[in-house]
Amino acid sequence: MWYKLAWRLFRHEARRGELTIILLAITLSVAAVLSLSLFSERLQSALTERSADFIAADRVLDSRKPVDPTWLENAEENGLNTAHQVYARSMAFANEQMSLVSLRAATPEFPLKGDIKTTDQPFGVGVVTEDTPKSGEAWVESRLFQSLGLELNSTIDVGDMTFTVTRVLSEVPDSGFNVFGGDPKVLISIDDLDATNITGPGSRVTYSYFFTGESNQLDDYYDWLEPNLDRELHRWESVEDDDSAIGRSVARAEQFFLLASLLAIVLAAVSIAVAAQRYSQRHYDPVAIMKTLGASKGTIQKVYLLQIIFIATLGILLGTAAGMLIQQVIVSIVAERMDITLDGWHWRPLIIAVFTGVICALMFSLYPMLKLFSVPPLRVLRRQMGAGLSSRLIQFVAAGGAILLLMWAYSNNIVISLILFISGIVLVASLMLVTYGLIWVGRKLGQGKMGAWQLAWARIQRRSMDNSVQLISFAITIMLLLIVLVMRNDMVQQWRDQLPEGTPNYFMANITETQLPELQTHFSDRDVQVDNYFPVIRARFVAINDEKIRTDVTKEEEENVEREGRDGLGREANLTWSTTLGEGNTVIEGTWLSDEEKTGEFYGVSVESGIAENLNIGLGDLLTFNIGSEIVNVEVTSVREVNWQSMRPNFFFVLHPKSLEGFSPTYITSFHLDKDRKTEITGLMQPFASVTLFDVDARLDQLRSIIDQVSVAVEFILVLVLVAGALVLIAQVQASMDERQQELAILRTLGAKGTMIRASVVFEFIIIGVVAGAMAAVANELALFLLQSQVFEMQAAIHWEFWLLAPAIGAGVVGILGAISCWRLLSLNTSHLLRQMV
Amino acid sequence: MNSTPANMIETKNITKVVDTTEGQLQILQPISFNVKAGESVAIVGASGSGKSTLLSLLAGLDEVSDGDIVLDGKALKGMGEEERAQLRGEKVGFIFQSFMLVQSLTALENVMLPAEIAGMHDAKEKAQEILEKVGLGHRGTHYPNQLSGGEQQRVAIARAFITKPKILFADEPTGNLDAANGTKVENLLFELNQGSNTTLVLVTHDNELAERCQRQLHMHAGELTELSNDKDVVENEQLERQAG
Repeated sequence: MWYKLAWRLFRHEARRGELTIILLAITLSVAAVLSLSLFSERLQSALTERSADFIAADRVLDSRKPVDPTWLENAEENGLNTAHQVYARSMAFANEQMSLVSLRAATPEFPLKGDIKTTDQPFGVGVVTEDTPKSGEAWVESRLFQSLGLELNSTIDVGDMTFTVTRVLSEVPDSGFNVFGGDPKVLISIDDLDATNITGPGSRVTYSYFFTGESNQLDDYYDWLEPNLDRELHRWESVEDDDSAIGRSVARAEQFFLLASLLAIVLAAVSIAVAAQRYSQRHYDPVAIMKTLGASKGTIQKVYLLQIIFIATLGILLGTAAGMLIQQVIVSIVAERMDITLDGWHWRPLIIAVFTGVICALMFSLYPMLKLFSVPPLRVLRRQMGAGLSSRLIQFVAAGGAILLLMWAYSNNIVISLILFISGIVLVASLMLVTYGLIWVGRKLGQGKMGAWQLAWARIQRRSMDNSVQLISFAITIMLLLIVLVMRNDMVQQWRDQLPEGTPNYFMANITETQLPELQTHFSDRDVQVDNYFPVIRARFVAINDEKIRTDVTKEEEENVEREGRDGLGREANLTWSTTLGEGNTVIEGTWLSDEEKTGEFYGVSVESGIAENLNIGLGDLLTFNIGSEIVNVEVTSVREVNWQSMRPNFFFVLHPKSLEGFSPTYITSFHLDKDRKTEITGLMQPFASVTLFDVDARLDQLRSIIDQVSVAVEFILVLVLVAGALVLIAQVQASMDERQQELAILRTLGAKGTMIRASVVFEFIIIGVVAGAMAAVANELALFLLQSQVFEMQAAIHWEFWLLAPAIGAGVVGILGAISCWRLLSLNTSHLLRQMV
Repeated sequence: MNSTPANMIETKNITKVVDTTEGQLQILQPISFNVKAGESVAIVGASGSGKSTLLSLLAGLDEVSDGDIVLDGKALKGMGEEERAQLRGEKVGFIFQSFMLVQSLTALENVMLPAEIAGMHDAKEKAQEILEKVGLGHRGTHYPNQLSGGEQQRVAIARAFITKPKILFADEPTGNLDAANGTKVENLLFELNQGSNTTLVLVTHDNELAERCQRQLHMHAGELTELSNDKDVVENEQLERQAG
């Protein structure tokens, strides 16, 4: 029977609109969590997929020797797809010229992820191809066409075999990005490899085996394979966290998503608590009646718990539907313009969203419900009797616990959750103190004649506890809205600043000293602005403090370096010299190289902080490089932090110019060429066949489009948080209006003019709004400083405009909401008001 | 099976003391009286005399400070809140001055409420039947705020009788009604009461209403005295007025 009663009450209450706020709040929190985390997971997996494109598979096994064929058989038996490629450095000959090339002999299955792009014209726009070279064919990179004077269908000799050049190779997925110019690539069929005879003893050959499949299959396979692997011979590579500029931007956006949706949840939870409180108070009578009529406490608990379950279920269903719809809309907008597929389904966001809905519905209504259950039956006779439960401890424990639990579940990080949570408590406590102070001062100032202002202050002071809670929730709501707004503005702005108009989209390397003046004139004649020319000297990094460095430094460092996409280290290092600190470089230890002569025995060198950390290099260490047959010793005088996202050439080692005197460098530089001038590039590069050109336009476009699209998502979150904030404000105003009803009725009965009452209520809300806005501005500044400097690693700044704007917004929004609610109440006649009070 | 005891309500030396900021306040002096099964008793007295407190104690809504109350053979002393609620559900009906209908339920659903709490399966049919009896069969789907005061009280009466309680407590049942509606409600109340042989205890200011009961008890400053006839009621009121 109790379930029928519960359902009946739920139905009627819902029809009367009494449950709308709670329902909206649950729906909103579920929708926010689901859409944001689903979107973020899908984006993350799309980016992982994209990273997989860069290694051409989900996992790669590199080996210095061919592996046991059973390993591959086993992989296939495990349901994995496999492909195979052999890399070797070799000389290619054509038209009586020669060039060192990076030869790749691939099976037709290659690549398993990503695409090979080819074109008919050197430096033309690459088109995706499903083919791989047939036996006897070679696909050759544009640069080789330049340096060997090749044409399509001409021949090229590699080792003992002659190939016909059938296509220009634009892109191979696993080629990485190397401004220092690896050797030009030549792709052939694996069937022709033996005929070239270049894989004999002593040759540097890498055998790569590619795998794709479900991650559990891949993990199982690796578990089987691992005991067979030899660290000296084999390397297992998987899709790492994307550390590229795109990856970092997305990571920062995800942190923002996380923060914003946490805030949206907190706001939604507050509105649930406020609305549940109101619902509970409105049900004191029905509970007292039911108890009088013989209902046990258990029955009452079941009746109301079931109602919460009904509303939570409905909210979760609506929220799930809304969340999926919202994320689908974002995803379709993003996928339309972003070169990644956003498919796949993730259960974790759904579980978290449902969990959020349940926790919000239960924990934030717990205290109001406990209060409701404690209403004594005697209330039917003694109308003023409220709930028996007066301790707010349960409320604080339940609500606080729920918020902490949600933060933890959502962020997966107890430390961040605790920091946020404890800061929140400190904030609330300080706001509480300030509120009491303000209310006291306001009342003192407002004493005297009983006008609308005085009435407003009097009311604020009389209900100072309720008002403090209200004021604090207004202040926090406004603060959270400001945080999200400012974060969004600053973040989007900083993203855009990262890639301003005119960001270099081409890199040139291998410019010889003799070519340099000619190239400079050539480019300036054609109105192409070229950045600084950086001298590069290829060297071998031999020793630190006379201690020899092992081959490839160490495995770990090699991996790190490769992940950064820069081949500058290993045994080979690219050295530059300068006494001017490059853009995006910051000295964090020691002093930068000066023009002065050396003070000690050696000239100075500045080392990039990452490599310094990896190789355990510190100030004063002696580094030894081998350039040709010469030995160069330098002393570490500074450690630099380098912004690798600057899209400008950057170096691990910057030496003093004097230390490299007498060596002839090549130069590298970057320049920007507008899209509509792209066709000029062949003509531009024509006289400099040996100069290596890299086109990074596609990469920049991709980065820009992701930034744009993530910005759209960020804006969408702003809207979500705004809605959540509005819900809290409406719930609060609505709740306080119930309390005001009686007072208004009495004032009306006593003959107070409607205009005066209206004005006093509006003033009251304006006062609360201004104070809340002002407190929000201060708290916002503090919170932003901490967030930007500690979490988002952004430049923190003071936002003076909000110091004025926040109180104004507070006064406006809270005042208007108050006025609207109050108008409705005052439009009722006095007798109706009095009847409603009964 | 228990036979119905001669006394439906027995009270012995019941007192009520409450804590106030100025110390303890004795609202009820020791009171002892019995009410026979099927009897109708009016408790009259001025505001603040303790009538409602007595009613709340008799109905088990509140606990006595001392003394014993036995309802239909069951002693309230020692019963917890839950047991008292169960006892009310089984044996007691209520009518209040402010009707105390659940605003979010329709008239029919309000009447069904105690029947459902008692676990009756035909609650809806019974509710409809009794609504017809009180002349509101056609208003079953209306919400309380769509009904007049008189109609609301008739719904409350229907609700009180649906479980056929052995005892009916009424607190100023006509207090919020105009004369015409008040009389209508009174008639209905006594009609149903007689029809179902319920023991009726009502608290009222209204002499006419009190006179319709078989016995009248008078509360004054927490003390209860039994009035033997109508004249006593009038005299008592005069005394109170003089004292006031």
